[in-house]
Amino acid sequence: MKVIFALLLMCGSTLSFAVEQAEEIFKQLAPSLYQIRLIDKASGEKSSIGSGFQISSDGLIATNYHVISGYARHPHKYNIEYLDNKGNKAALSLKSVDVINDLAIVQRAVTTEMAFFKIAEQAPTKGEELYSLGNPHDLGMIVVPGTYNGLKNESFNDRIHFTGSVNSGMSGGPVVNKNTEVVGINVATSGNQIGFLVPHDKLLALYLAYQNSPPESIEQQMAAQLMRNQDKLITTILNSEWQLKQLGRGLIPTIDVPFVRCWGESNSDKVDAQIMAAVANCDLDENTYISSDFFTGSLEMEYRYMESDKIGSTKFYHIFERQLNQVAPGNQAGKDDVTEYQCHHDIVKPEGSNIKNKSVFCTRAYKDFPKLYDVLYIGISVDHEQYALLSHFTISGVAQETSLAFLTKFMESVTWK
Amino acid sequence: MEIIIEELSHGHKLLGRHKFATSNITIGRGYDNDIIISDPHVCPDHLQLHFNGEHWLLNDQGSINGSYLEDSKENILQHQVKSGDIITIGKSQVRFVFPSHPVDESIAISPFESLINLARHPVALALSMSLFALIAGWIINLNNANEVTLTQMLVPTIGLTLGFALWPAGIALVSHLTKHDARFWTQMGISFFFFNLMWLSDIFENIVHFNTSSNSSMLWVIAIIPLLLAFCLFWLNCYVGFHMTLLRRNVVSMCLIVLLFGGSFVVQMSKQPDFNPRPQFDTTIMSPVFLFTPSSSVDRFVSDSSKLFEEASKAAQEDSKE
Repeated sequence: MKVIFALLLMCGSTLSFAVEQAEEIFKQLAPSLYQIRLIDKASGEKSSIGSGFQISSDGLIATNYHVISGYARHPHKYNIEYLDNKGNKAALSLKSVDVINDLAIVQRAVTTEMAFFKIAEQAPTKGEELYSLGNPHDLGMIVVPGTYNGLKNESFNDRIHFTGSVNSGMSGGPVVNKNTEVVGINVATSGNQIGFLVPHDKLLALYLAYQNSPPESIEQQMAAQLMRNQDKLITTILNSEWQLKQLGRGLIPTIDVPFVRCWGESNSDKVDAQIMAAVANCDLDENTYISSDFFTGSLEMEYRYMESDKIGSTKFYHIFERQLNQVAPGNQAGKDDVTEYQCHHDIVKPEGSNIKNKSVFCTRAYKDFPKLYDVLYIGISVDHEQYALLSHFTISGVAQETSLAFLTKFMESVTWK
Repeated sequence: MEIIIEELSHGHKLLGRHKFATSNITIGRGYDNDIIISDPHVCPDHLQLHFNGEHWLLNDQGSINGSYLEDSKENILQHQVKSGDIITIGKSQVRFVFPSHPVDESIAISPFESLINLARHPVALALSMSLFALIAGWIINLNNANEVTLTQMLVPTIGLTLGFALWPAGIALVSHLTKHDARFWTQMGISFFFFNLMWLSDIFENIVHFNTSSNSSMLWVIAIIPLLLAFCLFWLNCYVGFHMTLLRRNVVSMCLIVLLFGGSFVVQMSKQPDFNPRPQFDTTIMSPVFLFTPSSSVDRFVSDSSKLFEEASKAAQEDSKE
């Protein structure tokens, strides 16, 4: 009993130590923390909120891109405004964004030099205690202690895995170490105690690039970033090993990189099913937020094998055909963002291959980002009476050359065993 | 001298024909007349006809509404009848014809007519209706993803067949109501023959779509086939069911086509959303036995696909100009 009591006491003391430290950090940093709000001009009310923190003495404030995305997309519709710890409000101007890493730099007017957050020079070590700051659900600034768990493995663009509650509204808030240096920026949450942060080096790079040469237009800056990212992503994927896996009697390519994950399902438990079906799909675990109804940067591959010895060939393909009506794009985009799809279809047999597909390729262009497209491909094998293989991919936010290179490699990889 | 008097309805339809050998004939609503016309606008003693040994003379008997020759506005008094004269009394008409009146040349029963009559032959009719039911059942089976038993298929098949039989039945009813020969079985035979042709053209269209890539621009030709078939069906429906001139028959069939296909086109257009986020493409896939076309290479497909980017970019530029 005594032992337990002693243990409890010890826990209590470390806990109170952590709380004291958090309080200290909060008191020290509070004047450089802001709530960032987007004010809808027509209604005069705030339409979205997030957090932000000052990173220079002359009033530059870092936040998430998604906090101010409404303004970046429709500058005439909104004003950006900050609310500091004393309750003062004033306007902010948008200076630079990193749409891929979900970062933005805004600036407030300052009269005298102000205190600001220092950006760390080194990444934290695994298990290190960190403090996330922000204003969740408009409840007021809080500090949340948590631990650094390294970079998220399944992510193409680095994200820190932070064990601690990051809630909505804390987006754009800083995460600091014991020395009050910024090591990350709150960006997303994946439920209980799992939070994701943008690593500090991304912010540092954006800040230095802004100091060197501020962007001329935010839209052009975003277009260039999207273009660079898709090139990097597709080139990485094309240069990675494509493993052929068996699905039914077919061979399907999967990409051996940690950031593309695959899942599978089949109806082999249903003995009386007319058609045996097996589905495998692989997708990129992340996408790029452009606005609340426009996402890009996604990649999806899906394979569907169907076989039946119970129904005739005509009915088999008739049922297969109806599944084609369900084809949908992999990313969300609206009339203001993209054109309608343009499609081409043909019967294709890759040279030296044993599969004959009806192949369909569709693309739609981005209206605000020239030379970027969403593409979609579906191939259905039409060379066997009782079994068929559907191979499908969608990529959003790609250039013509990269998507066609991917298309060629994909079409040549799908075969019969 | 003999005279033939025809009673005509308001729409020039023949209601009755009488031949007289007397030299005095009376026409009116009263029961003492030789020809009794039950039109409330005709007087009890309306018209009198008298043969004077050389000519037939026509006299209005002082009727309220008068008697007029064709379109003339003058009341008839001592009118000398010529063969073929049509006199309007009240809202009815009578036509006077002499025995020597010329008649049209007789028309030989054309091979076309006997071909049409073939459609009502019980064997042909049974064949085309059962073929229709067979295809209907097959399509119902195709569209059902689960296993379908024969008894499950029977009811929708019979329902569909009866549903389609409503069209010839409707036409036969209309021709019966308009005092034409109904010819129900002929209409049935013709209609089901064409319904079968439409099924076949549908299957043919699918095979063509399956075998062509989006590079081919002649697909609109295929789309015309159902229009032509429908035109032929309506044309024959009119031919069998109604006496009308060739021109009128063509116009009526054309109007039906416009009404039917134009109407469904307009309905489809009105359902089209402002922006469709889903790709639209030809989804036709069929069993490999229907695949006859040679396949393209990946390079060919990629180079064809690359043209889409230009089109999409152009569409994006046009949209942003608006």
